[in-house]
Amino acid sequence: MPIFAYLAIPVEGGKDTLAAELTALPHCEVIPADNKDILILVTDAPDEKAERNLQNKLQKISSLQSLSMTFGCSDQPEKERGDHES
Amino acid sequence: MKPSEKTIGSLGYLLAAVCFLGIGIVQIIPARASADLLLYDLGGESLYKQYDITPDSYLSAGSGDRNLNGFYDLRQYPGSPPRIPHPAEDSFSGKTQNCLSCHARGGYSPEYQKFIPVTPHPDKELCYQCHVPLKEVKRRFQENNWESINPPRLGRSALGGSPPMIPHSLQLRENCIACHTGPGAVVEIRIGHAARGNCRQCHVPMVQTEPVRVFSRTR
Amino acid sequence: MNLDRRSFLKCAAACSAMAAAGSIFPGISFADWKKQEGASGMITWKKAPCRFCGTGCGVLVGVSGDRAVAVKGDPNCSVNKGLCCVKGYHSVQALYGADRITTAKVKRDGKMVEVPIKEALDIVAAKIKETIDKHGKNSVAIYGSGQWTIPDGYVASKLFKGCLGTNNVEANARLCMSSAVTGFMTSFGIDEPMGCYEDIDHANVFITWGNNMAEMHPVLFSRILANRKRRKDVEIIDFATRSTRSSQASDKSILFKPQTDLAVANAICHEIIRNNWVNWDFVNKHVSFHKGKTNIGYGLEDKFQFADQEEPLTFDQYKAFLDDYTPEKVEKISGVPARDIKYMAALYGDPIKKVTSFWCMGMNQHTRGTWINNLVYNIHLLVGKISTPGSGPFSLTGQPSACGTVREVGTLTHALPHGGVANAEDRAMAEKIWDLPAGSIDPKPTYHTVEMFRALDRGDIRFIWIQVTNPMVTLPKLKRYREGALKEDRFVVVSDVYPTPTTDVADVILPAAMWIEKEGLFGNSERRTQHWEQIVPPPGEAMSDTWQIIEVARRLGFEKQFPWSETEYIGKIWEEYRRFHEGPKHNMAPYTVLKERSGVQWPFVNGKETRWRFNPVYDPACDKGRDFHFYGQKDNRAWIWARPYEPAAESPDKEYNFWLNTGRVIEHWHTGSMTMRVPVLYNAVPSSYVEIHPDDAADLGVVNGEMVKIISRRGSVTMPASILGRGVPPRGQVFVPFFDERYLINEVTLDAFCPISKQPDYKKCAVKLEKA
Repeated sequence: MPIFAYLAIPVEGGKDTLAAELTALPHCEVIPADNKDILILVTDAPDEKAERNLQNKLQKISSLQSLSMTFGCSDQPEKERGDHES
Repeated sequence: MKPSEKTIGSLGYLLAAVCFLGIGIVQIIPARASADLLLYDLGGESLYKQYDITPDSYLSAGSGDRNLNGFYDLRQYPGSPPRIPHPAEDSFSGKTQNCLSCHARGGYSPEYQKFIPVTPHPDKELCYQCHVPLKEVKRRFQENNWESINPPRLGRSALGGSPPMIPHSLQLRENCIACHTGPGAVVEIRIGHAARGNCRQCHVPMVQTEPVRVFSRTR
Repeated sequence: MNLDRRSFLKCAAACSAMAAAGSIFPGISFADWKKQEGASGMITWKKAPCRFCGTGCGVLVGVSGDRAVAVKGDPNCSVNKGLCCVKGYHSVQALYGADRITTAKVKRDGKMVEVPIKEALDIVAAKIKETIDKHGKNSVAIYGSGQWTIPDGYVASKLFKGCLGTNNVEANARLCMSSAVTGFMTSFGIDEPMGCYEDIDHANVFITWGNNMAEMHPVLFSRILANRKRRKDVEIIDFATRSTRSSQASDKSILFKPQTDLAVANAICHEIIRNNWVNWDFVNKHVSFHKGKTNIGYGLEDKFQFADQEEPLTFDQYKAFLDDYTPEKVEKISGVPARDIKYMAALYGDPIKKVTSFWCMGMNQHTRGTWINNLVYNIHLLVGKISTPGSGPFSLTGQPSACGTVREVGTLTHALPHGGVANAEDRAMAEKIWDLPAGSIDPKPTYHTVEMFRALDRGDIRFIWIQVTNPMVTLPKLKRYREGALKEDRFVVVSDVYPTPTTDVADVILPAAMWIEKEGLFGNSERRTQHWEQIVPPPGEAMSDTWQIIEVARRLGFEKQFPWSETEYIGKIWEEYRRFHEGPKHNMAPYTVLKERSGVQWPFVNGKETRWRFNPVYDPACDKGRDFHFYGQKDNRAWIWARPYEPAAESPDKEYNFWLNTGRVIEHWHTGSMTMRVPVLYNAVPSSYVEIHPDDAADLGVVNGEMVKIISRRGSVTMPASILGRGVPPRGQVFVPFFDERYLINEVTLDAFCPISKQPDYKKCAVKLEKA
């Protein structure tokens, strides 16, 4: 269950379009900056397969100029942790 | 999965807990003059009764391993009747109690090694009318280009810290306690304040797939 | 836990991205993020009472910069212990409606034009002076509100009753609480409940009389539900005229025909006496028996006058009076099965059970409102279940300061901050504290609310200043009063925060500061005074209602009576007002104490609040050595009244064959001028509707959502039908929430009122229905 955060920089004048397009994708949360043309994208895909699908979709977004990752984490499912605890 | 000694030990532990938790989670709705009238306010009566009879230990019990992804996997779109993820009799045998014996009460199922989700509408007994088994077929008759909408986002409050709106219709899902409390609840939507019983005192419906309305004066 | 862990990780992820963005683009801001996650970070929390109903929940308002951004329940407030209802949680959004009134407007050549507020206040003062010169002092009036803060009501009374010498001071609490007041005054000789909300944690039986608490006082109702769940020996009886959420939550729902609560209450007393469940020790020591006039009328005609005449009764005479009210006879009148009446009587009569009765508008908005209040007190007095933890009759209020500002400050025509205008000592006390010459206050009361608007229509009143209320939605038989307000030579000033049907009839609109945009004090249902400081600045030229009145008073030459500075006027006003209530029966907490605490109950004596009055264990005003002391009445006893059943002013007949009942829903508050502008609340209930029984709807041929025309002898309104919606009326009755100014149900209602309290009955009139 991977969680990633990115700084997303839109093509010129494409901030609103990009925000809308990213919001429409599954497992994506968008936090636009108020005073700069930049967005924060947090992804929370349920599994590796969904994560790969999402990466593919992100690459196809035309209003996106660049995407730089600032955070990454592959959270372990609860079940495995539970075993250690019992 | 081969149960190790350790798992069996914890299973016994769980079973004991389940017997305790399961007590009393049965719908008792007193008879009224007209059965029709029970339906008003989206059948809101069941919520009050359920709150009153559900033990605190159940309301605040920790979750099993159900999560939202699994929850939506069983649904064609948010709000559709979920399919049955475990073996069940194929044809309607008339023994509806087969479903409700587990799904009316919740608790733990040793058979599936899972906590059982509770139905929000235990008064509806003809389960197969809406719920069908989830069976993997090798090849579909024809492919279908169906696309669903995104499920409602969680925790969307109007202000920071204010109670989130109810993002789904309450039809057939009037009993908040069934899905949002207890060990069978989906972990992401299980509430942390189960001691409060009058849910709609703070949470009002605002279905996100419906247009948001704005008040404007007529004159 | 998985949820917390994932939320935490996502939060950490977003924060890392923000940190990265901040290092690349200094000064970058993510305000939207703060809004979403607002419960932490740069928010300061300030206490206030909720601005909506009379429960008086403590809230903490989250402030970021100069804007309110969040609300949470105040855990230090004993009223709600950290819980709110959906209105409270979203209350701060009501400050930011897009059409907020931020400038003063005056009517010039038939059009409203913006003017500086100073100029508008000049016009108001000049108009008051001119009207008094031309038509006399009783031609000017002020009509306020149970949402007035205590200082608002106090300066209004001081200016109009004291300085101008007219008793034309009324408040909308006349429409909501005056039957409760006359009920207390006739039964106990002193106003406001003896118990407190803590009763809920002790009672075994809750009987709600025509009171949909689940929606109208949800926080208190939740407390009842939690008690029932925890203690198991708790029972809720919903005694009502229609099925509601409260009926669904109750253990037993008992429906009665409108107006017949009078008969049922008497039948309960009959049963208590017949079974000898009377607490004789209590009755012999603390109760006396009385009767008043009967066939007292309905106040439908202009200048209606009524004065009750008390006569003492013996217990045997009272018992004989109840002979007409056997459960079997009353079953025929009320439709309540005799066994249900006996069941309720048995609950009240059981010596082990602690019983609390709750009521609000069902009993107060009643052409025999005073009587039904008396009758429920009778039940509690016969069995001695009163003034002890868990046992008592509890009259709930509907507005945040109906008690604080209207009942305690006395902003009704007959009242003063202490006592009434008819009493020479009370007048002298007010004249002394207000620094006015003797004889300034007129000893004769003038107009109660309905009569005040009739006087405006007739032309006896020429100038009216309306603050913090919306009478052009709430007055019964609305058409007459709207047309009256619009007549030539009537001058209407309205202070409000949003445009409403009332500002539509205004000649001057003054922009008002709302709730936390000014310092203020409220008083809730359980004698609790609650202070808040100014938390955010008011928009534009908006000004507190208190300060508006002070500005006008000074323009009229009363600087001496209104000397305070704008920075400290609330504290000074409070300390001056407090002098009226000195003594153990009503002492109020000092300003400094109120500023610190989340509400303080009066009587506040020697640093202690009084939770149960008339009980010497708790109440320092009682004589020592008694088990109870009802010190309000001259005979030191509580009064039981023989009050008969009399029919409603207008009942359904062949032509107008339905009862019309009006009320509220949880999401909207009163006329919706605030809650309709809160997106969450508006989306939950975006329009008013008429609830119809499914069989009546079938007869009429309407399905859910189809339009129905509701017609009475006064007017009509067409609105969507709600079948098996939020509530269900029985056959032959319809129910309409009054919050929606687009469907003015009060065009249809009747302006009949209780002759003793002068409170109109919004719960009963006759209508017919047509499919529209």
